[in-house]
This record gives sequence, structure tokens and C-alpha cells, in this order.
Amino acid sequence: MARPHIEPFVDRDVGFKKLNLPGFKKGVHYKMLSMDKETGACTMTVQYDAGFKQPPGFSYSEVEIFLQEGHLMIGDKRCEKGTYIFAPAGTSLPAMSTDEGCLALVFYNFGPPSFQESDADHDKADKSQKRTMVDSYFGMDWQVPTLFPQTAPGCLLKILHLDPKTFAMTFLYCMTPGFWQDNISYHDVAEEAYHIWGTSWMMQFGDLPTGGYFYRPAYINHGCFRSDLGILAIGRTDGDLHNYFHHDPFSTPEENHHRAAAKLARMKPALYQWILTNEHNHLPHDFEYPNDTYDTSGYDSGIHMHDDGSSHSHKSNGPHSHLNQKKKAKK
Amino acid sequence: MSFGSTTIQGNLRPKLTKEELAFVKQELAEQLERYQKIVQEQEALTPQREKWVKEFLHRIQTRGYHVHAGIKRVIPKEEVRPRDGRPLQVIF
Repeated sequence: MARPHIEPFVDRDVGFKKLNLPGFKKGVHYKMLSMDKETGACTMTVQYDAGFKQPPGFSYSEVEIFLQEGHLMIGDKRCEKGTYIFAPAGTSLPAMSTDEGCLALVFYNFGPPSFQESDADHDKADKSQKRTMVDSYFGMDWQVPTLFPQTAPGCLLKILHLDPKTFAMTFLYCMTPGFWQDNISYHDVAEEAYHIWGTSWMMQFGDLPTGGYFYRPAYINHGCFRSDLGILAIGRTDGDLHNYFHHDPFSTPEENHHRAAAKLARMKPALYQWILTNEHNHLPHDFEYPNDTYDTSGYDSGIHMHDDGSSHSHKSNGPHSHLNQKKKAKK
Repeated sequence: MSFGSTTIQGNLRPKLTKEELAFVKQELAEQLERYQKIVQEQEALTPQREKWVKEFLHRIQTRGYHVHAGIKRVIPKEEVRPRDGRPLQVIF
């Protein structure tokens, strides 16, 4: 598990810190929301002070920026609140400045915050993707999610960025006033979200107000859900988001993992059985991406729960079949 | 898996500078403190959460459970899995 389960954390409860890393100009303050312990990749609330100026340059990491308040000049383009920017690693952004200051959420996906002054791209910049900039508030419409099963009526989405290979996504979502969803959910993917405005409630964690944040690993129960006055939030997943709904508040992440596998076996039996043949020897291969490798020997499921409530990380090394093993009878 | 695209792998500067390493070390230490505080706060919420769970189990057996979008189904008592002393842990 690269980031711990942080839920809930309200950034309004803590002060800003000055960002003192080399390369960054004066006038950048931050609140750390979560950090990957292996790479330093992180999610931060960032305050750019009035008068902040930064020359053209790139980050060594892929970066996503969401402007929450104020405005930011990027080159000669004035970006208002709601602007979302995706910058592939090593691609140079034009000069940035703000007269009155602004507040943003900044996601460094591959490493800690970094900035290298340059008006050209890094020679190994990620050319497979384009830098994008969208006005999410006025340039996009709300969509009803097309997931199956789907969230209750009143939860709407705007997809800001979608990874074409993994379907990992960055999205705005809202809950309309009076939103209510009476089920418990979990996913195969990690999820993080930040409340731009409004308060929602979850049965496990209580209220998440404006400035509320969570990073939640896969297979952890969340919900039921409610919002009296509605919310506006930004969320991200690290893979394809499928809603597993159920109504057992006491199920463990390990049980949820098993249940997800059972669902896969029921819904895609041919694929499931083929993967399992010869004890996991059928590693995936995609002719569309022939150079990709899928080495699962270091896979870390994150959580392995025991009956006594204790948990630890569960790494798979080599053949690891649970097939045809009799389940222990529970007392 | 981690956030971000998979079209390239990792930071373009995989070896972090001395300043970056110190920054990461400091932030991870503070993150651990935040995590421990959250665990304590969430444990303190347990009595209230037990009430919420009781209310939830009542609602799905009377008003209904959201199966998909606006489709709801009232859950019969025999479909509610018995607790059997299981803990109500929410932070992992």
C-alpha cells in the first residue's frame, strides 16, 4: 500500500507551510494531503501568494492542477477557478503568475514536487500524452455516471482526465441537495477525493466538510452516503472504477477482495478460469501494447485481515493458488 | 498501482536530490502522525457509528437498499448477515 488510509482529513484545520524545495519561486505555500511512501508522489493544497511569478519550466513528475479560487495566468491565458491542467512529465508549461493570489489542488503523480526552469521540454518528456487545459465549470456539462451498478440519482460527474490504458480517472463530482444512497460500497482501486464545497456524510467516517480529503485504498467499505445541502468535489482513482454494493457493515477488506474475485468468476468465467490455469502462469499480454509487462510477483494486496481483527500486508511471490483448498469452518 | 498515467514509468529524475529526500522524510513522518490521529478520532466515533449502522440495517429492511441507481429493494431479515461478534473497524 503506497499511501496509508487517510480518512477523513480536513485541511482547514492546519496551516500552510512554505515550499522550500529548489527550483520553486517565492510565494508557494502548501498543505500536504497524502504522500506515496515509495516514490514521494503527493497530493497537496497549494496557495500561490499575490504577486507570485514563475518562469516557464517543467516538473520531473506528471502534474495535475485544479484551480479552486482566484485566477492564474498561464502564458497569456487567464485561468479562472475550475480550470484543470494535465501536464505530462517533463513537458514545459509557460510562465505562471497571479496578481491577487490563488488556491489550487496539485497532484504530483510520480515523485515529490519538482520544478526545473526551462522553455523547452525535457529530452525524455512523455510525448505519448498531450498537455490539456479545460474549464471544468463552464466548459463541461454534468453527466449521469454510466457505471453498472450506478450510484443513486443525484450524483453527477465531469471526467477531467481518463487514462486510456487503465481507465484511471480524475473527475469532478457533485451530490445534489438531499442526496441519499443506502448501500455500502467498495472498489478494486484506490480512490482519493477533496471537497471543494459542501458537506457529505458517510456511515463509517461521519461528516466530510469543505476542505475535507480522503485517500482510501481498495476494498475498504464506505457508505451509506448522505448530503443535506449538496457538495462539489474532485476525485481520482488509480484504475477502472467498479461499484461493489452490499449491505454488510462488518465485512473486512479481505472478505471484500474475495467477493470481488467471486463476482469476476461469475461474470467472466472463461477469462477467470483461463487466468488461473497452471497456477497463474498465464500472465496477460496485450497486442495493442506489446511492450507492456505485467509482473505480478511483487503485487501487494495492501491488506490481509485475520479473524481477530489484526491486519498486515500480503505480498504474492510465485505460485500462490487457493484453488481447491477447503475453507476453515468458522466457530 | 498508483495515481497517474501508465504510458511512461515513474519520475524523470528517479534519484531524488538531497533536499527532496529530506522533504519526503519529513512529510512521511508528519503523515504517520496524521494517520495515528485519524485512527484515534475514528475509534472515538465508534459508539455513534454503532447507532448509524443500526439505523442503516433498519432502513434497508423497511425503506429499501439501493441496488442500482434509483432501483431499491427491501432486504428480508434472513438476508442480513449476522454480526457474530465481528468488530466494526473502518481505518486500515
